[in-house]
Amino acid sequence: MNYDPLHERTRRHFFRDCGLGVGKIALASLLARSGSKLFGAPATPTLTESPIAPKSSHLKGTAKRVIYLFMAGAPSQLELFDYKPKLAELDGSPLPPSVIDGQRYAFIQPDAAVLAPCFSFNRQGQSGAEISEALPHLSKVVDDIAIVRSMTTDKFNHAPAQLFVNTGNGIPGRPAMGSWLSYGLGSEANDLPSFVVLKSGGNLSGGASMWSSGFLPSTHQGVPFRESGDAILHTSNPSGLDMQSQRDSIDLIKNLNQQHASSAGDPEITARINAYEMAYRMQSRAPELMDFGSESQATLDLYGAKPGDKKHAFANNVLLARRLAERGSRFIQVYHSGWDHHSQVKNGVATQARITDQACAALIMDLKQRGMLEDTLVVWGGEFGRTPMVEASAALGRSQGRDHHPQAFSMWMAGGGIKPGIQYGKTDELGFNIVENPVHVHDLQATILHCLGLDHNQLTYRMNGLNFKLTGVEHHNPVMDLLA
Amino acid sequence: MYIGPQLSIWLKAAICLSVVGTAVESLRAAETISFNRDVRPILAGNCYDCHGPDEETIEGGLRLDSRESAEEVLGVDGELFYRITADDDIDLMPPPDSHRHLTEGQIETIQLWLEQGAPYETHWAFVAPKKADVPKIQNPETTINSIDHFIRRRLEEENLKPSPKADRHTLVRRLYLDLIGIPPTPEQADTFVNSIDPKAYDKLVDELLASPRYGERWARPWLDLARYSDTNGYEKDRPRSIWPYRDWVVDAINADMPFDQFTIEQLAGDMLPNPTLEQLIATGFHRNTMLNEEGGIDPLEYRYYAMVDRVATTGTVWMGLSTGCAQCHNHKYDPITHTDYFSLMALLNNADEVAIQVPDPGMKARQALINQQIKEAEAELLTKIDPTKYQTWKKTEKAKVVPWHHLEPHQLKANLPLLEHEGDGVIFASGDFTKRDTYELTYQLPEKLKGKTITALRLEALPDERLPAGGPGAAYYEGRSGDFFLSEVTLSLNKEPVEIEAATRDFGKIYIGKGDAPAQAVFDGKGSSGWSTASRESEPHELVVNLKSPPQAKGELKVELLFERHFVAALGKFRISVTTSEKTAAARAWPLIDPATASEQEMMIAYANSAKEMTKARAALEELKKKRPSPPTTMVMRERPPQNPRTTRRHHRGEYLNAEEEVTAAVPAVFPQLPEGEPANRLTFARWLVSENNPLVARVVVNRAWQAIFGRGIMESVDEFGTQSEAPSHPELLDWLAVEFMEKGWSRKELHRLIVSSATYRQDSDIRSDLLAADPDNILLARGPRFRLDGEVVRDMILKASGLLSDKMGGPGVYPPQPSSVAAAAYGNTKWPISVGEDRYRRSLYTWSKRTAPFAAFTVFDAPTGEICVAKRDRSNSPLQALTLLNDAMFVEMAEAAATEAIAKNEDNEAIVTDLFKRFLTRPPNKEEQSALLSYFEIQRQRFEKGELNAIEWLGEANSSPDLAAWALVARALLNLDETITKG
Repeated sequence: MNYDPLHERTRRHFFRDCGLGVGKIALASLLARSGSKLFGAPATPTLTESPIAPKSSHLKGTAKRVIYLFMAGAPSQLELFDYKPKLAELDGSPLPPSVIDGQRYAFIQPDAAVLAPCFSFNRQGQSGAEISEALPHLSKVVDDIAIVRSMTTDKFNHAPAQLFVNTGNGIPGRPAMGSWLSYGLGSEANDLPSFVVLKSGGNLSGGASMWSSGFLPSTHQGVPFRESGDAILHTSNPSGLDMQSQRDSIDLIKNLNQQHASSAGDPEITARINAYEMAYRMQSRAPELMDFGSESQATLDLYGAKPGDKKHAFANNVLLARRLAERGSRFIQVYHSGWDHHSQVKNGVATQARITDQACAALIMDLKQRGMLEDTLVVWGGEFGRTPMVEASAALGRSQGRDHHPQAFSMWMAGGGIKPGIQYGKTDELGFNIVENPVHVHDLQATILHCLGLDHNQLTYRMNGLNFKLTGVEHHNPVMDLLA
Repeated sequence: MYIGPQLSIWLKAAICLSVVGTAVESLRAAETISFNRDVRPILAGNCYDCHGPDEETIEGGLRLDSRESAEEVLGVDGELFYRITADDDIDLMPPPDSHRHLTEGQIETIQLWLEQGAPYETHWAFVAPKKADVPKIQNPETTINSIDHFIRRRLEEENLKPSPKADRHTLVRRLYLDLIGIPPTPEQADTFVNSIDPKAYDKLVDELLASPRYGERWARPWLDLARYSDTNGYEKDRPRSIWPYRDWVVDAINADMPFDQFTIEQLAGDMLPNPTLEQLIATGFHRNTMLNEEGGIDPLEYRYYAMVDRVATTGTVWMGLSTGCAQCHNHKYDPITHTDYFSLMALLNNADEVAIQVPDPGMKARQALINQQIKEAEAELLTKIDPTKYQTWKKTEKAKVVPWHHLEPHQLKANLPLLEHEGDGVIFASGDFTKRDTYELTYQLPEKLKGKTITALRLEALPDERLPAGGPGAAYYEGRSGDFFLSEVTLSLNKEPVEIEAATRDFGKIYIGKGDAPAQAVFDGKGSSGWSTASRESEPHELVVNLKSPPQAKGELKVELLFERHFVAALGKFRISVTTSEKTAAARAWPLIDPATASEQEMMIAYANSAKEMTKARAALEELKKKRPSPPTTMVMRERPPQNPRTTRRHHRGEYLNAEEEVTAAVPAVFPQLPEGEPANRLTFARWLVSENNPLVARVVVNRAWQAIFGRGIMESVDEFGTQSEAPSHPELLDWLAVEFMEKGWSRKELHRLIVSSATYRQDSDIRSDLLAADPDNILLARGPRFRLDGEVVRDMILKASGLLSDKMGGPGVYPPQPSSVAAAAYGNTKWPISVGEDRYRRSLYTWSKRTAPFAAFTVFDAPTGEICVAKRDRSNSPLQALTLLNDAMFVEMAEAAATEAIAKNEDNEAIVTDLFKRFLTRPPNKEEQSALLSYFEIQRQRFEKGELNAIEWLGEANSSPDLAAWALVARALLNLDETITKG
């Protein structure tokens, strides 16, 4: 074996310890798969290159990046994507005991009465997808998306269920999907974070654990854009200073670090010098990213975006997501809270649809016209579904709502290798259980990884004696029928 | 027995290939194959999935993990060898579709092993450690203690030279950072560097081990293991009070509490005879699990996850063993069955999780003061009573008085909680609660009521110190401790339903949701409406129901109570009474005082406290009552009473909903069992963990200490010593240290002293080019340790260098400055109330630790968030770290402070720059460094002077001179140096 320890050390060092690179075990699993060829590959970064160079993957991926529109609170599939006329028939009477036996709910008792769908549905587009009148904009792009009506999850409370979708486990402390991608694939952005988190609409139950790198190195952590001050923490110079003094400071630090490196002989110091250069670039790049001045009025109107106006926070974030995608971010998580309609589900869904529908559809159209839809995977969905039964509670002052329903819910995906214009999976006539092609949350995650060229079974990390992976220990698979 | 040339070859191979993860390479035929070292990794990694200890997945009835079961296939030309070398895919093992295959080297190893008779061995870590003879080496005169002999022996085998002793500046900085987690001041460093005392180093070690800072430094890795945090985690992530546990850890480590005692008190302090307050506080270790307070959760489901975490954490911390696999199925590699796992859980699963008060002696005076004020306010309030209104009220209250007969229950049943009669009809509920609890109370009506009719029933909801927030409810999460919600009361007499006509209560209020909880809600047939007394916990309340057609007081009365809410809301303590009075009974306005017997003064107090028209007048009093200081509390374990043990079941596939048969508490069968005659409980288990019966504990503990100091354990996988783990780099040293640790009374200070005294530790840490090639990870320790400091140490060292670091120890968490947007991102737009004064500069250990909004400057340097047991932190190197150190206002403030002190202490620029440099790096700058810094200083100073840079904005102070501003920039540059944030 032609073995050059320094060369290996340098490379390994970058992969494992530096920048936003791949982690040690991911590398191991990638190498095991590719027959250790990566060491000799010409594309491998060297000391002088950026520490965040993209990494080769297990499979040939169809997507380079993901924009995940996370509808937190759990939108009612029965009001949006999964039309159940039977519920109108049964409105006001309880479901048969055979259906509800042994079910656990968050707030209601299982024998609560059925609530009819609150909106009418129409068939749209060439594909004839049946979709709610509450989503007039999405109705126009149904031929570009794949609607999944057979999603199912294990968790029936918000925080655990949101964590489950984002980290593959209901308990906080595991790496987020975006962290796994960063760990497995590295970053294509050399002056912006690879894994970005945008938020609107209020409290998020799963919280910061949803973009935590868990036990992966913190370089893979999602970077939440802040709602006040610097969007990316500490990208502004301290007040009173300018970019010149920042440059002078970084040059001085570099100079002293280099002097020290020559005696200490530690490659870590070189890595730190590079990290400071990247930090400097981020400081200049961040304001450019946040400045929507280069977007045309037509684009702003398409999304319904109004820079700086908090009322348009979701549309602004979706447009920002596209800008991040253009600049190389790998995983852009757009959270919007407000879908938890325990009471007055009709008004609630109508309101949230008004806030989100236009921008979601605009994203598809915009990516398409820019030629980015083909390698950008867009995912839309919440953490679980809502009950066919009504929620009403005297103590809580609730009526005409729907409780949490983990058994069945709907999502949609588009671009990045997803088959456009299809509807996948089926629930029973009550919308209670899945009767055809169930897609477990872990299947969804396996599918997303697959689109990005990663085999979910091979992307593992060893911790406390266990090999952890995003998709858990049970057997799950990418949904090949969803792929183009 | 572990060390030999084979291992050395093995290790070289492992170093070359460790990235790829391949294990054993070719071994020479002449060598003796060791099952543990050479063979088991191959079998475990490639065969045990289908031919290992997991009976459920056994293929073809063949187990390869023990000689007895594998006997038939082990011949030199036996089935095993045939299968691993078969040319056709049907016979080949591992099967091609498993994507596993054996390398030629591995096949050769198996072949040699078979030829040598295929001996099996117990996995080394499951055999108690023994002290091997300290190896002889070539130049013993350059060693200091036995550690060096083990290390040098290996280096000799590898033909590697140890590094020279580090210079005194490096040594003093290293020693301070390792033992107390903060750097020396320039003066402290100079004292050591200039000392001619040959014992100076040993004396410094003594001094640092005795410093209270030592406990603070070494508490941090323990709190990583304990997953300590100041909040509950999950959605709401509300604050909790468990800092007394954190302080207990610091104190115990400072007192050098022997590790065995340290273990027993944390796992089972409550079960020791007459436990002290400190021993109770110590049981907070396993209370650091998260608590889900989201509305609508199943509380027992999340308790189960907490138990899973406790089992996993116990395994990692005291056994270096992952038990997690066995949660879902029999362990594939280690001999731990699915049932073993739940038996282990059962050992830990019999405690109630409660909070206790930690008396604060300083509080007595404040309490007395406020009690006095309350007394005065009450007296004052009485003067404001309108006599006419009072008299009317009194008349009504007196009219309500009827004789009540306390009923003594005949039978008590509940869905899950344990109901116990405590005398005089008082019933106490304990154990586990759900969010839909039903109590079924049966009474034999007493003879004395014979011939009369029951007109009304009274339910007294009673406070009790044993209940959360003093009760009367059992609610312990979702915000309102001590709350209850009585949905329905259903009555029957001799199995005939008894209808309720009307109901009254003293007070009603619902927490979360609307309404004043009318008494009628308890008989409207709706579970979602009911009676609740939120906001007035730890007070008695009462509900009176009047019966429609009063039945004869004879026979068996059954009272069913339903508590149904989206959180636990059952009553914790209560009593049922009946009356046969013909008067219409009603709830008293102020159940603390009984109008039947009350004095005039008492009646007035009752009036003043309860009457609607007095609401405004008593507002001041209510405010005062809220201010009554209560001592801090801390979360502890309390073993359940013998009459209410918790059942532990096996959960199929580890899932909460799939509870199967009951298991008995025991340690896994592979280990020596709990001593006979001792109860199988938490205390016995804790003692077992630190006994000779647990071969792992001492190894695991010394290995973690080694990792903390050298950056890497002798066992690299500090959290995994099972059969899947890679071999230790110096097995004999590991065992020697483990035995030495136990022999020296489990003293951590002695262990640390031993390590830092070694010549190995004192080596220079510069990475020689030969070492970069031969041993880049410094596994063999031919040089001293060098790695980036932990996030908290980064901040502490900079605080110390700036002269700001506070020495104050203990107490509730504090809030050093960070942008408000960090905490605001958490659920409920959390505030981050930046501490003022000394608390702004406390040691990082004391920073408020919020799981869903961890302190940003720590997280960016890989600090954990308390969600999972962490035995080893990552050490990443990222641009976000650079942005933090460059631009975070917290560090700017420290840079300014350092500059201010350096200017004040020194005359000229050379002296200032040297002082600043030494604050951060301990050593003085060399010429080049000094001139680079001075020229940078001069350029920046001029820019401030010219107004190109704004000194006032930069330092936020009106009197910021260009000099100070520029020196602060110099300090900022210094705190950003790799050498500053690295232990070299």
